[in-house]
Amino acid sequence: MNEKRIQCPKHLDQESGRGLVEQVRAEGVAPRQTLVLDFSETEDMDTRGGAWLIELANYVKAQNAKFDLAGQQGDVAEFLGLLRPSLVSMAEAPPQRAGVFEQAGEAALNTISEFKEFYHFLVDTIYWTALAPFEGRGFRWGSFIDELNEMGVRALKITLLMNFLLGMIVAMLSAAQLELFGASIYVADLVMVAFARELAAVMTAVVVSARTGAAIAAELATMKVQEELDALRGMGLHAAQFLVAPKVLALVIALPLLTGLGMLAGIGGGAVWGLVVLEFRPDIWFNQTLNAAMFSDIFQGFFKAFVFAIVIVLIGCHNGLRVTGGARGVGLMTTRAVVMDIFFIVLIDMIFAAFFYYIL
Amino acid sequence: MAKKSKEKKNANGSVIRVRNLVAKYGDVTVLDNVTFDVPRNEIYVILGASGCGKTTLLKHLTGLIPATNGAIEISGQNITGMDEEQLAGMQRNIGIAFQNSGLFNSMTVGDNVALPLREYGNMEPQLVNAVVRLKLSLVGLANAEYKLPAELSGGMRKRAGLARAIALDPPIVFFDEPSAGLDPIMASGLDELILNLKHLLGITLIIVTHELDSIRKIADRILMLDQGRVIFTGTVREAEQSDQDRVRQFFERRPDEHITQRNI
Ligand SMILES: Nc1ncnc2c1ncn2[C@@H]1O[C@H](COP(=O)(O)OP(=O)(O)OP(=O)(O)O)[C@@H](O)[C@H]1O
Ligand SMILES: [Mg+2]
Repeated sequence: MNEKRIQCPKHLDQESGRGLVEQVRAEGVAPRQTLVLDFSETEDMDTRGGAWLIELANYVKAQNAKFDLAGQQGDVAEFLGLLRPSLVSMAEAPPQRAGVFEQAGEAALNTISEFKEFYHFLVDTIYWTALAPFEGRGFRWGSFIDELNEMGVRALKITLLMNFLLGMIVAMLSAAQLELFGASIYVADLVMVAFARELAAVMTAVVVSARTGAAIAAELATMKVQEELDALRGMGLHAAQFLVAPKVLALVIALPLLTGLGMLAGIGGGAVWGLVVLEFRPDIWFNQTLNAAMFSDIFQGFFKAFVFAIVIVLIGCHNGLRVTGGARGVGLMTTRAVVMDIFFIVLIDMIFAAFFYYIL
Repeated sequence: MAKKSKEKKNANGSVIRVRNLVAKYGDVTVLDNVTFDVPRNEIYVILGASGCGKTTLLKHLTGLIPATNGAIEISGQNITGMDEEQLAGMQRNIGIAFQNSGLFNSMTVGDNVALPLREYGNMEPQLVNAVVRLKLSLVGLANAEYKLPAELSGGMRKRAGLARAIALDPPIVFFDEPSAGLDPIMASGLDELILNLKHLLGITLIIVTHELDSIRKIADRILMLDQGRVIFTGTVREAEQSDQDRVRQFFERRPDEHITQRNI
């Protein structure tokens, strides 16, 4: 039997514990040797001393040797008893990071499961927003009104301001070019067309996704983390009915209205430039603008706003409902929602542009 | 143990003195004229009906909420007049385990416990790891080191919070509702642990709890709050024989006759 005995110090604390570990490391332990720590002279120990013992036990086990205690009495014995779990078993190694292929596989599986979840969520939402109210299964009008106020009325000022400024920017840019041809009056046409078809819808959607999209994701994520969603389900209520449907309907109404007002603000911004800087007479400028206004352009803007509204609510809710973990998860999912919102807004806008360019 | 023998020499000193503490949230007075002393190296239990101000009292004792009025002395220093810096210094010498555990969700349990050690412990990294393992095995979580708080049960989170509270070996530990949500076996295990902390590490513990069994087992002294006032301080035995009905009622588990009239 191969045994090595070491006498432990009288007071086992941070200093003497370090000494003990250094001593054993310097002397080394052979594989399959048993290192016996003799506590017969140890009168007291503290937690730092105990921590060094754990460190020592790990070292000894890493050398493939054994570790044993002897001679402990009184309080020291009690203390060592409490430490037993970490003295007898090896310290767990930190979990390994997965390899490249495993990570890729996991990412693929995650994407598939995310699509599945989104599909179920979509079906629920369509049912509770568009069908259930007609079956008399209830729609929460109260929270719909609240949402309409929060998403629409309270977003009005920032939306108008952003569109107004963008209108001025577009007027400035195009005036610089068109002046070369003596065609400054066409700035009015350009601003009108751009805002009706494109800019008001996109600008408003971006503002609303940063405001409302983020709020939706954060709200649902926090509710999920704090078990509020489980509580809802436990009462036999549906998140889709209770939380999602009022938001969908509210934004589907609010966003096109905001976009319409955004169009006016943008045109107003352009007009300020045209009247004040380019010094056109108001009646000429407004006639030009009205002549450029086409129903199909305006319709296109409103239709896009309608689609963007659905996208923003669905992405916000979907990401909020997928959260795991605590506060950090909420932050991650909120960020993800806004990034996805903006990506999809631009993507959908491009699809529309291509559609109108090639097909109509 | 080294610490314990040191404590014993001045065992009759008080580590916490509270004088005429008044606490308000806005206009609502939650604590009214609270006065008591916590003797060194004892387990001091604060109890009382739900909503009577126990958590509020703990938050005042630990300097998390400034007192509206009155004086609080921790280890001989009056904390009511302290600035941020001084309070932080005081808080390094106490441990707090919160009612909702207060663990950082983005870090593993091990990193949660290691955080105060890395910030203040002034020790070599390998010792930090060993201390983390030691504290976790003290609370029976030796194999949860690499788990995230979200992956633990409520009771495990409680114990992880306690492990973090005792990471720096503070002489005073505050513990809000340790056994709420634990099974009886786990709860009595936690009682053992609390007794060990007092006995082996010489810690003074201030504990908020409702569990009668656990109070009988661990409490050296209790303080009872009722609607923000202290209605009793003394040992459990004294409380059981108190001539105040309200105090005995708690230990005999008698319901209120007019439960609706009280603010629950
Ligand atoms: N942040 C706050 N703002 C306003 N009032 C509060 C706040 N926190 C607590 N209160 C009120 O103060 C009173 C005491 O609350 P406290 O959390 O201290 O009770 P408690 O004794 O810990 O209850 P429990 O046993 O349920 O944990 C309650 O009436 C509560 O409504
Ligand atoms: Mg409380």
